[in-house]
Amino acid sequence: MNAPALQAETTTDRHPLAGQHMSGAEVIVQVLADEGVGVLFGYSGGAILPVYDAVFRYNALHPRADGGEPMPLIVPANEQGAGFMAAGYARASGKVGVAIVTSGPGATNMVTPVRDSMADSIPLVVICGQVGTAAIGSDAFQEAPISNIMGACAKHVFLVTDAAQLEATMRTAFTLARSGRPGPVVVDVPKDVQNAALAWRGSGELALAGYRARLRAVEQSALGDAECAAFFAALMQARRPLIYAGGGVIAAEAAAALRVFVDAFGLPVTTTLMGLGGFDSTDPLALHLLGMHGTAYANYAVEDCDFVLALGARFDDRVAGVPDKFAPRAKFIAQVDIDPAEIGKVKRVDWHHIGPLTRALERLTAYGRAHGIAPKLAAWHAHVAELKRTHAMDYDRASALIQPHAVIEALNRHTQGRAIISTGVGQHQMWAAQYFDFRAPRHWLTSGSMGTMGFGLPAAIGAQFAHPGKLVIDIDGDASIRMNIGELETVTTYGLPLKVVVLNNSGDGMVRQWQKLYFKGRFAASDKSLHTKDFVLAAQADGFAWARRLDQPAALEATVADFLAFAGPAFLEVVIDPDAGVYPMVGPGASYAQMITGDFIASRKAAAVDEGATSHMF
Amino acid sequence: MNHTLSILLQNEAGALVRVAGLFAARGYNIDTLTVGPTHDPSVSRLVLTVQCDEAGLGRIMQQTRKLVDVLQVAHPAAALAA
Repeated sequence: MNAPALQAETTTDRHPLAGQHMSGAEVIVQVLADEGVGVLFGYSGGAILPVYDAVFRYNALHPRADGGEPMPLIVPANEQGAGFMAAGYARASGKVGVAIVTSGPGATNMVTPVRDSMADSIPLVVICGQVGTAAIGSDAFQEAPISNIMGACAKHVFLVTDAAQLEATMRTAFTLARSGRPGPVVVDVPKDVQNAALAWRGSGELALAGYRARLRAVEQSALGDAECAAFFAALMQARRPLIYAGGGVIAAEAAAALRVFVDAFGLPVTTTLMGLGGFDSTDPLALHLLGMHGTAYANYAVEDCDFVLALGARFDDRVAGVPDKFAPRAKFIAQVDIDPAEIGKVKRVDWHHIGPLTRALERLTAYGRAHGIAPKLAAWHAHVAELKRTHAMDYDRASALIQPHAVIEALNRHTQGRAIISTGVGQHQMWAAQYFDFRAPRHWLTSGSMGTMGFGLPAAIGAQFAHPGKLVIDIDGDASIRMNIGELETVTTYGLPLKVVVLNNSGDGMVRQWQKLYFKGRFAASDKSLHTKDFVLAAQADGFAWARRLDQPAALEATVADFLAFAGPAFLEVVIDPDAGVYPMVGPGASYAQMITGDFIASRKAAAVDEGATSHMF
Repeated sequence: MNHTLSILLQNEAGALVRVAGLFAARGYNIDTLTVGPTHDPSVSRLVLTVQCDEAGLGRIMQQTRKLVDVLQVAHPAAALAA
């Protein structure tokens, strides 16, 4: 970085430490402290040792009133675990998650959580050690081109080659991570920069003229009267309007404003996987999840609606697999998003607003109320209620084998939508999304866009650090949990009262489901029935005092109650029906009208199952 | 069709790689590329040509505007026609 681009200091409040001599590593830790970071996740190594030492000294010098460390450093089994812990912390709390790793393999192990957080718009600051500036480009020990690698998957990456810019860069990283559409920011810090002798300034950020100008434009944009009038004119023409709410509702803390908007105008709400919790799923107007594995009633409502209001949702391929056939009867599509690049990216929209979601919803509500807007939606409400009754979620309740849906229902009877749920990726993730109630934001942590197996356990650990007193449950699969199973030990090392559920169907269930449908049942590399892992022994070996296997349906209720009542870390493996499928399913390249609902959910008409479908979709 | 874009970006390590990488990652091939300083030494001008349809052009311009180092993205031919 060769431009001395320090923003003018607008504050006259002098930092109490201003002018004090500090090393680069101490500057990094002081910025973390000033940003209010309460926990760090990371794994040590040669090129980050100065920062780790500075964290150690900071914690020793600044004990909390209760004697605890102000900034504990939580050590995973693998750096990927640290990244997902930071992401779980951020998802559950709304604050920026922070991870610190060493150069080379430490940093490359962090690539997956960084890309995952970018794809789901999760704010992270990741600090990577780097070999000394003189050694960069020399193929040094544990050197990797992190600014190149992370530049392709993070919101932004800084390689700090000028120590004088370190303090402003660190502060700017937090601003970038949390502003606009949130995302992960990587700061790559060579070891000599960590050891540089610096004077603490206490304020100042990098200028970033382009980014800040665009951010200001978006944050200051307000809905004018004409735009509100056009929106409500279209809404009053509609007889079957529907809200399609995405992860933006969570990221923007807009759930309360959405509730008020729905109370005012009566639009039913369906949410994306990332939007679960943005609207109380037990509400009569809630249609729960839409899309590839959405509820049949949500997907039929999308088929039937004549007006769509997309809120912080991006028409991705798991929702609008065939954009032309998504909401085919909608005469008007409105979209609100913080990211200009999402407007009309997949589907042309008739009305849009780029700006903060909460303010947009509050403005629309105020305008509509002031103008006496009261859509007459009784017939549509009755239709939605009938869809929910006729096409309710259901499964094989007579089976002699434990059905995964029944496990989720049993857990849900205890948690009532109040527990924080994290998941891996695959069938168990979809069953959890379908059968849990979601009553409030930030209770559902899942790798939505990237679909990263192994996300569930470390994300749950991060969430438990964000909410030490809350019930946090990782719903995992036998294949997903294997990806980061080393983190079982992290749970007991830190004495977290986390609850881990493994729905064991002896393999990659979702892969097998697709292989049954599209590859004539050839289970290439997806069957693990001959694998020998004893999950209960594994959990016990990692220190879980409560670890049990459940394989008798009759014992389900009592076991779940006992499991959740245990005060400390608990591990429950449930041997489930290996043939249980995730339904409904909108196949790749299919429209919602062609949705397969399976044997236990009523379909509107027998769907044509194209066994030999050769699609380029995935 | 062939489009020429003019991009102003902060003259920082990795900024050019990020623009080029974005085009590559989203499936656009840069046919020609010129980079040079402006009167402000902290700002570079990047002129590139790319083959894509109008919808794709709009999308890639919006994505380029999301890069933190990018100050401005212009499509001079469209500006002239307007």
